[in-house]
Amino acid sequence: MMPSGLRRIGIALACIGSFLTTPVFAEYADVVLNRMAEKEGMRPVIFPHWFHRIRFRCKVCHAELGFKMRAGSNLVTMGDIIDGKFCGACHNGNIAWAPENCDLCHSGKPGLPPGIFGGHDTNGPGRW
Amino acid sequence: MMTRRFSTLAACLLLSATALTSPSFAQNDAGKAVYDKVCVACHSAGIAGAPKFGDAKDWEPRIKTGMNALYESALKGKAPAMPAKGGATDLPDADIKAAVDYMVAAAKGGAKPAAAAAPQAAPAAAAAPAPAPQANPAALNFNRLLKPASKRNPPPPEDGIHDPENDGTHALQPPLTVFQSLPRSNAGNRVDWVKALDTNQIGPRWDRTDPTAAPVVMDLNIVREVKGSMPDVVYPHKQHTAWLDCSNCHPQIFIPQKGANQISMAAILLGQKCGVCHGKVAFPVSECRICHSKKKNVMPVKNAQAN
Ligand code: HEC
Ligand code: HEC
Ligand code: HEC
Ligand code: HEC
Ligand code: HEC
Ligand code: HEC
Ligand code: HEC
Repeated sequence: MMPSGLRRIGIALACIGSFLTTPVFAEYADVVLNRMAEKEGMRPVIFPHWFHRIRFRCKVCHAELGFKMRAGSNLVTMGDIIDGKFCGACHNGNIAWAPENCDLCHSGKPGLPPGIFGGHDTNGPGRW
Repeated sequence: MMTRRFSTLAACLLLSATALTSPSFAQNDAGKAVYDKVCVACHSAGIAGAPKFGDAKDWEPRIKTGMNALYESALKGKAPAMPAKGGATDLPDADIKAAVDYMVAAAKGGAKPAAAAAPQAAPAAAAAPAPAPQANPAALNFNRLLKPASKRNPPPPEDGIHDPENDGTHALQPPLTVFQSLPRSNAGNRVDWVKALDTNQIGPRWDRTDPTAAPVVMDLNIVREVKGSMPDVVYPHKQHTAWLDCSNCHPQIFIPQKGANQISMAAILLGQKCGVCHGKVAFPVSECRICHSKKKNVMPVKNAQAN
C-alpha cells in the first residue's frame, strides 16, 4: 500500500540525522550567496530569511524584485545592488541601510558553497 | 534491507523528536535531566558569568535573593546573558523550576544547612564539583543525533556559517531576541509564522514601500486524498496567499486546477511541488500533521449526515 513511500521518507529522515551531526547549527532558511563574492576577494554573503520575513512578505522579493526561489540561481552583482536592483531595492539608505556596510552582508566563513543552510530537509538530488 | 534499517532509524528519530518536544520527565529526575540537557551548556563552566554548578561562592548571593527570584530569572531570563528558560522555551515551567532546585541544592553541597555562613559554604565549594557527571558527556547524550535545545536558533557568531572574525557578524541580531516573543512551533525556525501573522505580532509589508498595502487573501481549501493510511492533505490557499503572490505557484509549480498536478512525498522531498518552500523556508516536511490534517474517517461521517 504505502510502505515504499514511507521507506523513502525514512531515507530522507536518516539524511537529516547525518546532517545534524555536522557542527553547523545555522538558523533555518539562512541562504549563502557566493557565486562571485569570494572569487572577488570578499567573504560569502549570508541572507537571513527569518529577519526579512518579519518585515516583508515573500512576494515582495520573489515576485516584485525577481529573486528566483532557487538558491544559487540569481546572479547578483554589486553593480546591480548599487543600481537599486535585488538587495539594493531596499538597501539603499532609504528603506534599509546602504550598501557601504559591506561586512553586514559579506559575513560568511570563507569557503562556504552557495545554498540554503539550517535544518532544512529537502535539498534536491544531492541530498536524495 | 538497507532501506528497512533506514526507516527504523527514521522512526527512532521521529520518536525522539516527540520525546524532546513534549517532555514529561519523571518528577524526581526532571531537574537533573533538564540541567544536563540545557543549562549545562553555560552553567558547568560558568560561561558569560553564569554561576557555576556546585560552586557555593557563585550561588550564595543569588540564593539569598530567594527561590522565587531565582525561578523568575530562570523562566524569564536575566540580562545580559541568561536566556529565558536557558533557551529551551518549549519546556514547561515546572521542569525549569526543577532544574533551579537541582542547581541550588548542588550549590548548597547536597542541601545541607539553610542559613549557612561563608566559612561553612567554602568547603562545600571544594567538594561539590566532583559528583557532577563530567565523563565524556557528548558520547552519553540521550538523543545523539537530535539537535540539542541549546544549539537551536544560535546567535550569528556561533552558528557555524557566519565568520566570527568579521566585525559585522557581531552587529547582527540573534534570532532568539525576537523569537522569544513570537508563538513557537516544533521545527524550522521554531516560530509559528502563520499564527504570528494572524495575531498581528508581526506585520511584514506586502509592498516594498507602502506599509498600508494588504494582500487579497483567497480562502480556498484543496483536499488531496492520499492512498493508504496517512490522513488526507488539506492545501489551504488562505495561509499561502497571505504571504505569496499567485504567480509564485501558478503556473510554474502547480497548474491551477484541482487534481491536475501529480504530487507525491518523493517529489516533495526532492524539493519539488510543496517542497519548493517546505523544508527550506516554510515549515519542514517532518511536520507531517500540518499537511496531512484530514482524518480519513471524517468523510463517511459527513456523508452519513448529508444522507
Ligand atoms: C545588502 C547586502 C550587501 C552589501 C551591503 C554589500 N554587498 Fe557585495 N554582494 C552582495 C551580494 C548578494 C553579492 C552576490 C554574491 C555572490 O553571488 O557571489 C555581492 C557580491 C559582491 C562582489 C562580487 C561581485 C561583483 O559585483 O564583483 C564584490 C566584489 C562585493 N560584493 C563587494 C562589496 C563591497 C566592497 C561592499 C561594501 C562597499 C559590499 N559588497 C556590500 C551583497 C552585499
Ligand atoms: C528580502 C527578500 C526576501 C524575502 C522577503 C523572502 N525571500 Fe526567499 N530568498 C531571497 C533570496 C535573496 C534568496 C536566495 C537566492 C539565491 O541564492 O540566488 C531566497 C531563496 C529562497 C528559496 C530557495 C531556497 C533553495 O534552497 O533553493 C525559497 C524556497 C524561498 N526563498 C522562499 C521564500 C519564502 C517562502 C518566503 C516568505 C516566507 C521568502 N522566501 C521571503 C530573498 C527573500
Ligand atoms: C546561554 C547560557 C546560559 C544557559 C543555557 C543557562 N543559563 Fe542560567 N545564567 C546564565 C548567566 C550568564 C547567568 C548570570 C546572569 C547574571 O548576570 O546575573 C545565569 C544565571 C542563572 C540563575 C541565577 C539568576 C539570578 O537571579 O541570579 C539561575 C537560577 C539560572 N541561571 C538558571 C538556569 C537554568 C535552570 C538553566 C537551564 C534551563 C539555565 N540557567 C541555562 C547563562 C545561562
Ligand atoms: C524588500 C527589502 C529588502 C531586500 C530586497 C533586502 N533586504 Fe536586507 N534588510 C531589509 C531591512 C528593512 C533590514 C533592516 C534594516 C535595519 O535594521 O535598519 C534589512 C537588514 C538586513 C541585514 C541585517 C540583519 C540584522 O541582523 O540586523 C542583512 C545581513 C541583510 N539585510 C542582507 C540582505 C541581503 C544579502 C539582501 C539581498 C540578497 C537583502 N538583505 C535584501 C530589507 C531588505
Ligand atoms: C503556495 C502555492 C499557491 C499559491 C500562492 C496559490 N495557489 Fe492556487 N493552487 C495551489 C495548489 C497546490 C492547487 C491545487 C492543485 C491540484 O489539486 O492539483 C491550487 C489550485 C488553484 C485553483 C483550482 C481550484 C479548483 O477547484 O480547481 C485555482 C483557481 C487557484 N489555485 C487560484 C489561485 C489564485 C487566484 C491565487 C492567488 C490569489 C493562488 N491560486 C495562489 C497552490 C497555490
Ligand atoms: C511558494 C512556497 C510554498 C509552496 C510551494 C507551498 N507552501 Fe505551504 N506554506 C508556505 C508558507 C510561506 C507558509 C506559512 C507558514 C511557514 O512559513 O511555515 C505555508 C503554510 C502552509 C500551511 C499552513 C500551516 C498552518 O500553520 O496553518 C499548510 C497546511 C501548507 N503550507 C501546506 C502546503 C502544501 C500541502 C503544499 C503543496 C501542495 C504547499 N504548502 C506548498 C509556502 C509554500
Ligand atoms: C508540505 C506538506 C506535507 C508534509 C509536511 C507532509 N506531506 Fe505527505 N503528502 C503531501 C502531499 C501534497 C501528498 C500527495 C497527496 C496526493 O496524492 O495528492 C502527500 C502524500 C503522502 C503519502 C502518499 C504516498 C506518496 O508518496 O504520495 C504518504 C505515505 C505521506 N505523504 C507521508 C508523509 C509523512 C510520513 C510525512 C511526515 C514525515 C509527510 N507526509 C509530510 C504533503 C505533505
